[in-house]
Amino acid sequence: MLYSKTAYIVYAGAFLATAVALNVIFTGNGVWFNVGEFLNETSPYMWALLGTSLVVGLSVVGAAWGIFITGSSIIGGAVRTPRIRTKNLISVIFCEVVAIYGLIMAIVFSSKLQAGQPEGRFHADSYYAGFALFWAGLTVGLSNLFCGVAVGITGSTCALADAADGQLFVKVLIIEIFGSIIGLFDFEGARLQVNITNYSS
Amino acid sequence: MATVDDLCPAFAPFFGLAGAASAMIMSALGAAYGTAKAGIGIAGVGTFKPEIMMKCLIPVVMAGIVAVYGLVVAVLIANDLNPANPYSLFAGFVHLGAGLSCGFAGLAAGYAIGAVGDAGVRAYLFQPRMFVGMVLILIFAEVLGLYGLIVSLILNTKAKSTCS
Repeated sequence: MLYSKTAYIVYAGAFLATAVALNVIFTGNGVWFNVGEFLNETSPYMWALLGTSLVVGLSVVGAAWGIFITGSSIIGGAVRTPRIRTKNLISVIFCEVVAIYGLIMAIVFSSKLQAGQPEGRFHADSYYAGFALFWAGLTVGLSNLFCGVAVGITGSTCALADAADGQLFVKVLIIEIFGSIIGLFDFEGARLQVNITNYSS
Repeated sequence: MATVDDLCPAFAPFFGLAGAASAMIMSALGAAYGTAKAGIGIAGVGTFKPEIMMKCLIPVVMAGIVAVYGLVVAVLIANDLNPANPYSLFAGFVHLGAGLSCGFAGLAAGYAIGAVGDAGVRAYLFQPRMFVGMVLILIFAEVLGLYGLIVSLILNTKAKSTCS
């Protein structure tokens, strides 16, 4: 292979997208690419449920990623120094808490869903509710993903530092706490986005 | 069908909310990267000299501040969004621009703080006079996030919703 596999995929995709775009423009169908019409025609229920599912899905991915990073380090380090086993479970708990944030937000979002609007006749408030749930869900989900990975990496270094020198545990734990408040910020930001709206869907 | 109004279409909040979301998401990514990368260096330093660890926490605090910038912009944008008030497409795009500017700047600042913090604390381990240099470079990296915040704040004041 002359170039890397990702380079082939990216350039092939870009070429295909350009070919489709030029074809559409030069055959006079440029109006086909209409973001406003897409947003008006798609059901706000799609957006709302995508947001609800992404919030718990992505948060759990972040928590799982963090747990496997920190867990493998704890287990590896505990071979030589078994005393680090129980103390370092707190890093695993920090990662788990990220998944709980996602779960709570998903429950809050699902409480705002009400069936009953016939497809094709949506009130403006429903569009707003759908978009708000989508973006708030994506915010919390992706931020929990990054927060979970960060807490996992710092938890792993905490375990290995603890194995090297027992008094380092608390100091490196401070770094981990800074990592987990990133997840809390987004929880607050998205909660604000979702709570100040008045829903009818 | 939703009201098809040229200035205030029903899908305008999509872009405003996208702005708030991207400010928060990308700042969080930068802050998380900064915390993790600097944290690895700090823990490594602590195994040799535990007494300097408290001073070495500065990169982690600065990465957290970058996340706060994103939170501030997201909250400011979310306060302007209210389904009871009319919301123009102009306001939606202004909020999108504000969110993206803070988001990308926060992402870049967090990345820089992580790399500089990691290298800086390792150097501080061997040469105590490096501390001032490390803090100076970290401040310059942090200020990049601040530039994004300033532009977001200026843009946010321009979001007006007139629907006629």
